[in-house]
Amino acid sequence: MKLALLAVLLAACTGDVDPKWQLDHDRIVAVRATPPHIPSGATSQLDLLLAMKGAGTSSAVPDRAIVVSPMLLADALTGNTVTAPSQDRLAEVRTELGLAATDPVPLQLGIASGTLTAVKTVYLGDSADNPALVNVTFDGTQPADGDILTVPAGTDVHMSVDASDATMIINWLSSCGTMHDFDLHNAYIHVQPGDPQSGELVLTVRDLVGGVSWEIWPIAATPTPTP
Amino acid sequence: MRTYLVAATLLVSADALAQPVEVTPVPATDQPAPAVAPTAAPTPPSGELLEVAGRVIDKFGQPIRNAKVGMEGFDAQVKTDRGGRFVLEARVGATLIIEKDGLEVGLALVNGPVLDDTVLLDLDTVGEQIEVQGEAPIAAPGAAIVDRKELQRIPGTGGDIVKALTIMPGVVNLQIPLGYSGVVIRGSSPQDSKILVDDFEIPVLFHNIGFRAVLPAESIASLEYIPGGFDVSFGRASSGIVELTTRAGDEKASEQAEISVIDGGLLVQGSIGKKTRYMFGFRRSLIDLILPQIIPASLDLSLTTVPSYYDEQFRIDHVLNDRWKLTLSSVGTIDTFELYATKDTEAKSKRFFNRTAFARVTGAAKYHEGPWSANLALSGLVSQFVFEFGEYQKIHITQPTITPRAELIHTDKEALGLKNVEWRLGGDSQIGRSYIDLALPRERREGDTQQARDPRDITRTFSGKIWLPDFAQWASIAANLDPKIRFTGGMRLDEIGRTGEVAIQPRGKLEVKLTPTLTARLSEGAYRRPPEFQSEVLTSNLNSERSTQSIIGLGYEPREGTRVQGSLYYTDRSNLITTNADGSIGNNGRGKTYGAEMLATYRSGPWFGWLSYSYSHSTRVDQPGEAERLFSYDQPHSLNAAASWQKGRWQLGGRFQVYSGLPYTPAKSAVFDNDRNLYIPIYDATNSARAPIHHQLDLRVDYSWHSGPVAMTAFLDVQNVYLNESVVTYFYSYDYSQKAAFKSLPIIPSIGLRGVL
Repeated sequence: MKLALLAVLLAACTGDVDPKWQLDHDRIVAVRATPPHIPSGATSQLDLLLAMKGAGTSSAVPDRAIVVSPMLLADALTGNTVTAPSQDRLAEVRTELGLAATDPVPLQLGIASGTLTAVKTVYLGDSADNPALVNVTFDGTQPADGDILTVPAGTDVHMSVDASDATMIINWLSSCGTMHDFDLHNAYIHVQPGDPQSGELVLTVRDLVGGVSWEIWPIAATPTPTP
Repeated sequence: MRTYLVAATLLVSADALAQPVEVTPVPATDQPAPAVAPTAAPTPPSGELLEVAGRVIDKFGQPIRNAKVGMEGFDAQVKTDRGGRFVLEARVGATLIIEKDGLEVGLALVNGPVLDDTVLLDLDTVGEQIEVQGEAPIAAPGAAIVDRKELQRIPGTGGDIVKALTIMPGVVNLQIPLGYSGVVIRGSSPQDSKILVDDFEIPVLFHNIGFRAVLPAESIASLEYIPGGFDVSFGRASSGIVELTTRAGDEKASEQAEISVIDGGLLVQGSIGKKTRYMFGFRRSLIDLILPQIIPASLDLSLTTVPSYYDEQFRIDHVLNDRWKLTLSSVGTIDTFELYATKDTEAKSKRFFNRTAFARVTGAAKYHEGPWSANLALSGLVSQFVFEFGEYQKIHITQPTITPRAELIHTDKEALGLKNVEWRLGGDSQIGRSYIDLALPRERREGDTQQARDPRDITRTFSGKIWLPDFAQWASIAANLDPKIRFTGGMRLDEIGRTGEVAIQPRGKLEVKLTPTLTARLSEGAYRRPPEFQSEVLTSNLNSERSTQSIIGLGYEPREGTRVQGSLYYTDRSNLITTNADGSIGNNGRGKTYGAEMLATYRSGPWFGWLSYSYSHSTRVDQPGEAERLFSYDQPHSLNAAASWQKGRWQLGGRFQVYSGLPYTPAKSAVFDNDRNLYIPIYDATNSARAPIHHQLDLRVDYSWHSGPVAMTAFLDVQNVYLNESVVTYFYSYDYSQKAAFKSLPIIPSIGLRGVL
């Protein structure tokens, strides 16, 4: 546990590396399957949220996708589309994997975008959608599509989403200012004069069974009004 | 265990037992030189005529000058020099009578060319039992003993035991403490060595905050460091032993207080009548009072329970009669903190809580009469460890342990054709009951790479109780094969009750006095470390880790206070507990360590000097067929040079240290796991890179004065005075695309004040 403490201390010494909330960094932010759970015969489309240093954040399709496991279902993927096999085939795979008859079959995919790689699981044999982003607020109001979010410089601006920190994985990421509590449903941003004054704000919400949703907003700091 | 009981009425050391025969004294000189001056003898000589050297000391271990040494029944005498030493010619078995005004008469029997020290007691203390410490011979090749005053003189330690240990050759040095015990010996792992306090293990050695030892140096009498080759009375360790002996109260009552930026403590000591002495110590952290003021408000941090600790120690010694001495002692600590990595204290996912507490109470009785001695002890330990990280991960362990221990020692002048024979027979039972409730990721073992932290990962869960009964028996015999050669051989038997394992561990040591000042030591033995580290207790089919240690050493003591020793060692390790491919753990590892160590110490007048160097190479193979790799604590080179000068009110000291950085495993790349929102690192070969070398200079100044009846001492201890901000280790960004150095603090000043009333 001393090592855990050391990890906490090291986590507090991350000045030389980009923090996890930093969006101005080459990375795959999220990989989405729509929908993430599909019954036999249904299909799911893959896309991803890609952040590139200096080039902003955008949705994209993977350059390449492969089945990692189980290899018995290698033919379930065509391009960026997953097709759930027949129920009989799924039953065979469940037996092979030691799953219960009603369990969905996890299909683990490898995803590549340029040199960036990721793994993502799509569940076959049942139905579920990606989580909804519910009641997202920024500085006390719900931002509409296309809104440019503004942050008065030198001020804590709060944001929130209706989601449980215990059962969901929530991330607020930004290329403007400094994020605080980026991994809680309640977070805030603070823009200092030395921080980037504009960029993007991204919210990702994951459930614990493969679902993920995201939203992107442009964001900019405004000078603090002089009293 | 490493103190020497000397009965005032028996001034003959245990080894100096033989038949009385003729002595031929020589005249006294300041620089003793052998001379032959035969005198009329009432009986003809019967033993071998030897040039005999010895030393006379007082109850504090200080040499006695001008003591008269003569043969029983003869008038001729020699005098001891300023080092308390004398040289004369005598035949084996002669009885020497040693006299000094104001002191009780001492006797010494000649059994070889070099006699053990003879202690002359004050006339008014005759009948008491006096513990003479710090003059014991070293326990094994490469071992060393440091007393409290020396510990406190070492610059760069702030008077702390953990930091003082780093001056020992063979102890892996780093800018921060390592592992649970804080000490890694000869490149193995922290759990392979044991830290004992008055013969019994303590579960933790240092506090989370401030990295201070749980025992202040003020409550310690001495520290004995045995890097390997320890005797059969020590066990459950496959590398080395560090034994701390608590301080018995002084005869004179005193109270003292000490305060520094980190903590403050009180210690009271004294005697009740002539037979009882006491020492009580208490220490509390102070940094928790300061920390909230110095943490920047902009940090996403809430210290809901500010890191704090409390330490207690006490020791009561009572001389029951001239045969029995009783001791009751205790050491304990409680260390707590809770923080949130956010200002939102409702965010349980960002909570970190830790409480480490233990209390050990030991009752001991020592018996000595004639050739018989016995050490009896009963020690109870209650420890608690609570760790909670986020919403899911936790470990709660409460473990009471009771340990009865007994050792019987008998000495014979002659037995089985051998001389100066010492028999030892001992045993202990360490019976613990562990209450465990844990939910954690798969643990990280020696050499395992750091994985991304998944706060929801509770791969390892257990809730229940486990008995942990360990039993040990040992027997040994030590004897002179020749006046210059002493052999110790023994056998230790450990039974690990939980797994049913029985471990037989033969050990032997040979000590050869090549000259009166030069001693060669050889040691060979088998050692075991039971599977009781981390979650090893949850796997029932594990066996102990094994090591076989071979050590050869030379010790040179040209004069009182000067010692130079060197040793070469080879340790073969097998049955190492490693992680299998399926995530379980098994005894599939093996390894080896070899190295060389040198230690030179100098104590004379106002000077105290220390020079140590160690070379070590420590490798292992985790699974059959895998490539050999370095141990995570392999440190090839470590050099320490320290000097301290004391005159009048001032004490000045400096210490220079230079040592290799530790190995680490570089990350090559990482794959993003979208479902868990973390990166899975892909590493290069284990421990295939090494942190840079580190060097630093530490300085210390002490100033003492009197303020009324209070003796005051203030010290300033500055570590790393030339601001060498070196790399401790490296860490990676969340996606392993960036690497950054975790560096040592450029300078660490420590200020303290001690008052003794």
